[in-house]
Amino acid sequence: MIAPVANSLNYQLASKLLDASVMRHEAIATNIANAETPGFRRIDVASDFNRALRSQFTGGRPPSPSDVAAINPHLAVDANVRTVRPDGNSVEIETELMAMSRNRVDHEFLTEIVSRHIKQLKMAISGRVT
Amino acid sequence: MELLTGIAATGGALNSQRTRLDIIAQNIANARTTRGPDGGPYQRRIVSFESELLRSTDSANGAKSPGLATVRVSGVTTDPTPGQRVNDPGHPDADAQGMVTLPNVNLAFEMVDLITASRAYEANLNVAKNSRQMALKTLEIGK
Repeated sequence: MIAPVANSLNYQLASKLLDASVMRHEAIATNIANAETPGFRRIDVASDFNRALRSQFTGGRPPSPSDVAAINPHLAVDANVRTVRPDGNSVEIETELMAMSRNRVDHEFLTEIVSRHIKQLKMAISGRVT
Repeated sequence: MELLTGIAATGGALNSQRTRLDIIAQNIANARTTRGPDGGPYQRRIVSFESELLRSTDSANGAKSPGLATVRVSGVTTDPTPGQRVNDPGHPDADAQGMVTLPNVNLAFEMVDLITASRAYEANLNVAKNSRQMALKTLEIGK
């Protein structure tokens, strides 16, 4: 009976994107840690995660939550970097710090969505707004 | 899975940058040391880094991914370039011609390195701060 609430599309999407945002933070931490390691290439969440998610919405009708649940983010070397230093390192610390602040706002937003879903469920169970 | 995401990578980097700052401090402190334990002038030390794989994050469908890596100090080496020689016959370490070999430490170079290292340290501290905030937000889910 609870399954439809926990399986709602928005909830599934938010928790998937939350996974991706945590993974992106790990990637950024790795990039900044290795900002001065010769030959290091910056990593990021692979772009096919975004592409796979978007393709679920192109059919005109919303996808089923289980389809969304099957898409998982993973890390990949960023092939679109603009500059590579002479030592073979492609990390720009400013870009990474910007990406980190942005990712943090995303993360805050997504925790809020997940949180509200759970609160809604609680409210339905208890019948009280607390 | 760790609660503070990315803290392992950042921790390694903070340690490495600290070592680098220590070595720079040592170089600057010994900028005029003409007699070390081996009798010769002080030779500048250089810290080199290498990345260390923390865990691989291959996706379920078998796609290879680079994995999360931290950084560690791979070694402290000695800069072999010869130091500057100055004429100072009164110096206790002067040779028969009155020449003294100074350490090969270039203060301007060390200062630039010092700033780079402390900026890198700062950036990593920023990541640690962010990890903490994110963990706190995650713990607030459902509250």
